[in-house]
Amino acid sequence: MTGLAPERCITCSDEAVEAVVVELEGLEAVVLVAGGAHERVAVDLVPDAAPGELLLCHAGIALERLERALQTAQVAQSHKVVPAADGMEAAG
Amino acid sequence: MKYVDEYRSAELARGLSSEIASLVRPGETVRIMEVCGGHTHAIYRHGLEDLLPPEVELVHGPGCPVCVIPMGRVDDAIALAEEPGVTLATFGDMMRVPGGRGSLLEAKARGADVRMVYSPLDALALAATLPDRRVVFFAIGFETTAPATAVTLLRARAQATPNFAVFCNHVTIEPPLRAILETPGLQVDAFIGPGHVSTVIGTDAYRFIPEEYGRPVAVSAFEPVDLLQSIAMLLRQRAEGRCEVENQYTRVVRPEGNARALAAINETMELRDDFEWRGLGTIPRSAMQLRPAFAAWDAEQLYTVPGVRIEDPKACRCGEVLTGQIKPWECGVFGTACTPERPLGTCMVSSEGACAAFYAYGRQRRPAEEPVGA
Repeated sequence: MTGLAPERCITCSDEAVEAVVVELEGLEAVVLVAGGAHERVAVDLVPDAAPGELLLCHAGIALERLERALQTAQVAQSHKVVPAADGMEAAG
Repeated sequence: MKYVDEYRSAELARGLSSEIASLVRPGETVRIMEVCGGHTHAIYRHGLEDLLPPEVELVHGPGCPVCVIPMGRVDDAIALAEEPGVTLATFGDMMRVPGGRGSLLEAKARGADVRMVYSPLDALALAATLPDRRVVFFAIGFETTAPATAVTLLRARAQATPNFAVFCNHVTIEPPLRAILETPGLQVDAFIGPGHVSTVIGTDAYRFIPEEYGRPVAVSAFEPVDLLQSIAMLLRQRAEGRCEVENQYTRVVRPEGNARALAAINETMELRDDFEWRGLGTIPRSAMQLRPAFAAWDAEQLYTVPGVRIEDPKACRCGEVLTGQIKPWECGVFGTACTPERPLGTCMVSSEGACAAFYAYGRQRRPAEEPVGA
């Protein structure tokens, strides 16, 4: 499974997606989203975002940055297992 | 590069499933409401109910932003779309929601200029290309989507864009939760809190639920392991005699939310006196309108909208589905007169709607003696 996670909340024809910042120009960012596509999002709400960071994007704007590694470790530790390499299914 | 595998790990899911089973007493019933339509979709898509013991029942909540829009507001949007010189822009699913006079898609077929956009910023950009028309953005959604509208309004003001307006239908999550919690005979023991709304408003916003209503909350992300972990957290609280707000979605949600997003909403919008919700009726101070400072971009100030209340079709039981009183398949028109291709009610329109999610993923799991639509 390769790619970024589409997180299904809210408004119809748009999902909140996790996306990697590729480059920034003022309050606009080019981000890498699921499937390898590049999109532009507004970063008015996370103006200190930096290239390489993961952002949660929804309806054309970045809502927040993600700290994924932290939680992955927490989940794995709480159940004393190492996250499996293969998922339950491929991402849709 | 792997991003979601750890949240779909079968090994982690099995571990959590066992833990959940160990936290309930045989024969009891624990009813957990997932507030967010995104969670409903994920639960059906991944078959999570099959990983739960029979003692745990998931109840679908009111958190699909498309589903809670009443038919009268759709008619208002159609009226705006039919105004001379207006181009109405909105999210894709809103174009399919039936009002009393059909849907926006049908209005488009009759000649109205209705466009689908992915972001209110796209609608603002569209206005720049249509200087002889006014682009009206039909804004819907909870606190997740309101920041995008707020940022767009701030940019419209900064750019002094004269031919852009917003028809504001943004709603807030706390009032419908209170309405559900105050339902006589409420049979919900715990809540899975919405993930993305909480990115904006923070987990502290739900403290009223344990403090005033004695129900625990776990704010959750959307992958299978996330949701199972949230259910385990709620049951653990119960087993340990705790009742509080816990945050499972720590990778993005903070206790205080996103201050910039809240400030943008607060600068551009204020609470309405009241707003009609599908299935929940009129709830005071539960939705947003533009502040007077943004009157130049407020479609409700620039045009007269009919504002007529439309009764839902009698056969449609979206209201009871939205408040967790019935399951989708218990509605008489589910899967027969009401399908995703031709929805009668809003819950069948959006993929976040409980009916659409069950139609897409859950039907085959129903026992033969309980036929769909029965």
